[in-house]
Amino acid sequence: MRAIPLKSLASLTLAALLLSGCGQGLLGDGDDAATEEGPIVLGMLIPQSGSEAAIGPYMSNAAQLAVDEINAKGGVLGRTLQLKTADDACDPQSASAAANKLVTEGVHVSVGGYCSGATLPTLPIFGRANIPMIIPAANSQELVDQKLKHVFLINGTGSQQAEAAQKWIAKQGAKSVALMHDNTSYSKDIAVRAQGLLGDQVVITEAVTPKESDYSANITNVLAKKPDFIYWTGYFQEGGLIARQLRQSGYEGALMVADGAVSPKLAEIAGNEAAEGVYATMTQTPDTLQGAENWIASYKKKYNADPGPYSNQSYDAVRLAAEAITKAGGTDGAKVIAALEAVDGFAMFSGPLKFTPEHTLANGGFQILVVKDGAFTLQDPLR
Amino acid sequence: MTQLVWNGLFVGSFYALVALGYSMVYGIIKLLNFAHGDLYMLGAFTGFAVLGAAGGVPSSLSLPLLLGVLLATMAITGLAGVALERVAYRPLRRAPRLSLLITAVGASFALEYGMRAVAGADPRVYPVRLGGTPLEILGARLTPQQLVLIAVAVVFMIGLNLLVTRTREGRAMRAIALDPRTSALMGIDVNAVISRTFFLGSALAGAAGVMAGAYYGKIDFLMGFLIGLKAFTAAVIGGIGNIPGTMLGGLLLGLLESFGTFWLGGEWRDVFAFGVLILFLTVRPTGLLGERVTERV
Repeated sequence: MRAIPLKSLASLTLAALLLSGCGQGLLGDGDDAATEEGPIVLGMLIPQSGSEAAIGPYMSNAAQLAVDEINAKGGVLGRTLQLKTADDACDPQSASAAANKLVTEGVHVSVGGYCSGATLPTLPIFGRANIPMIIPAANSQELVDQKLKHVFLINGTGSQQAEAAQKWIAKQGAKSVALMHDNTSYSKDIAVRAQGLLGDQVVITEAVTPKESDYSANITNVLAKKPDFIYWTGYFQEGGLIARQLRQSGYEGALMVADGAVSPKLAEIAGNEAAEGVYATMTQTPDTLQGAENWIASYKKKYNADPGPYSNQSYDAVRLAAEAITKAGGTDGAKVIAALEAVDGFAMFSGPLKFTPEHTLANGGFQILVVKDGAFTLQDPLR
Repeated sequence: MTQLVWNGLFVGSFYALVALGYSMVYGIIKLLNFAHGDLYMLGAFTGFAVLGAAGGVPSSLSLPLLLGVLLATMAITGLAGVALERVAYRPLRRAPRLSLLITAVGASFALEYGMRAVAGADPRVYPVRLGGTPLEILGARLTPQQLVLIAVAVVFMIGLNLLVTRTREGRAMRAIALDPRTSALMGIDVNAVISRTFFLGSALAGAAGVMAGAYYGKIDFLMGFLIGLKAFTAAVIGGIGNIPGTMLGGLLLGLLESFGTFWLGGEWRDVFAFGVLILFLTVRPTGLLGERVTERV
C-alpha cells in the first residue's frame, strides 16, 4: 500500500528530470541566431511567479522603459532594441529552462537576474552560447567567484553589503549581534561574510526555512542569546513575518534587513508598528535617488505605478548593454565583453561605472535605510 | 523549555487541522489528495475576500467577526472540495491508483496557478490581524489569540471525531472505508458520503487557512504547498486514516520541529524532524495509532 505512492513519486521525479533534460538538448542553436541583422535582442530572466514574483514587474518595466527610450532615439547601431523576458520563478530549475529558452530565441545580451540562487545555474548556459550577462540585482559573491569572463554585476556584492552592515552595527554601538538567513545562496553569503567581519560580536547565526509562516522556534533560539542587534539577510516575505514575530516575542533591540527584504510589502506584512525603525542595507532605490524625479515621472506615466526595488538597476543594465554594443560595433559576445571591461565613467544611478577585474562595481554604494510610517527612507548614506 | 513546547503545539495544531482532511480522504477512497494543501490556501484567500467584502470593522469586534468569516469560509472551501472531487476524482475512481495521484498533483497546480491568475503573485496581507499582548504562563510567552486559535482547532477536531465515531453519517463513512461495494449494497449512497467527507476535510483545511491568515497575516498562492507536505507527513506518523492518530501526528511533528531547531539549529531542523520520522516508521510502519488497518476513515 505504502509502496505505490513512493513509486509514483519516483516516477514524477523521473519525469521532471527528463523534462529538464530536454531543455538542455536545445542548447547550441543560439549561436546561429546571433546575426548582425534585425533587432538586437536583450534577454531578461526575472521572477514572474513564485515567492519573489512581486519584484519581476519592477525590473521588466524599467528595462522596457530604457529600451523604448533608446529606440525613440534611433536604436543601437541603427538596429532596434528588443526586450524578451522569461520567468525564473526564483528557482534554479525554472531558471535553467528559461535561460535555455532565451538562448534559443537568440538573445544577444542578458540583462536579468534577481535571485542569486536562480541566476547561478544560468551562468554556464549563457556562457556556452557566448552571451554576455549584465546582472542588475543578483549579487552573491558566488556569481563572480568563478571568474567567468561574460558575467558582470552592476549591483553591490555580498561582501560589500556585509561591510556596510558591519559599519552601521559599529556606528550603533551594538554589542551582541544575531544573524538570520534562509540558507539560499544570496542570503547565506551575506550572513557568512558579515560573520567574518563581526567576529566575536556574533552570538548566533540562525538559518530558517523559507516559505513558512511560523518562525517562533528560530526566534526562541535567537532571543535565548539576548542579542541587541538582529540582521536578517533573506527576502521580504519571511522578513516581514520575522519582524512581526520578533516584536511579539518581546524583542526590543534593533533589527536590520538586507536588500532582498527591501520592499513596501515588508512593512505591510509586519504591520507598521513592528516594522517601524527597521534598518536596511540597500543600494540606491528610486526613493533615495538624488535628481531622479524626471525618471520616476516618466516611469509613472508609462506604467501608472511607482518604480520599486531594482527598477533603476534594470534600467541601467539595458542602457549599459546598449552602450557596450555600440562601442563593440556589433553583438559579437567577445567584443561586447571587451567593451564592458573598457567602460570607464559611464553614468549610472549608482554613480560613474568602472568594473573591477572581478567584474563587480568598485564601490557597492550601499546605504542604510530605515522604515518610517511603513516606507523605507534614507537613514545614512555611509559615505 | 515550556516556550519550545508551546511553539511546537501551536504550529502542530495547524498541521493537525490540515492533516485531518488528508487522512479522511485517504481513509475512504485511498487517494492522496495532493491538492489538499491548496484548499488551505483557497481558504486563506476566501477569508481574505470575505473580510474585504465585510469592509472596515472596529478592532474590538475583530474576534467575533473572524469567527463569522471562519464559518463562511469553511462553507465555501468545503463546497470547493466537493467540486474538486466531482470534477477531478470521481470520474477516475476506478482508474489505476497512479492516474488518481497524477490527477491530484494536477489539481494542486491548477488551484495554485489559478489563484495566481485571479489574485496575482504578490503576497496579500490580512486586513484584520490577531496581534494581542503576550502573557507569561509558566515561562512561555503566548497571546490570548493563540489560545483562542488552539481552542477553535481542538473544538473542530473533537467535533470531527464525535461525528465519525458516534453518528449515522460517521458509520456510513467507516463502512465505505471498509468496503465500498458492500456499503452500496447495504443502501448507503456512496457518492453522497464521499462528497460529504470531502466537504468536511476541505472545510477544516479552509478553517486552518483563515486562522493562519489572520494570525500570521501574509498569504500567497503557494502557501499551501509546504504545509500540505507537512500535513501529509503528520497524517502518516499518526497512522493515515486514523483520526485521533492524525491529530497526535500533527502535534508530534510540530514538537519535533520546535525541539529540532532548539537542539541543532534551524538548518538541521528538517533533517532532525524527518530523520526521527524515518526511524519511527521503520519501528512502527502503521504510525502512532494506525493499528486498526482494517477500519479506516
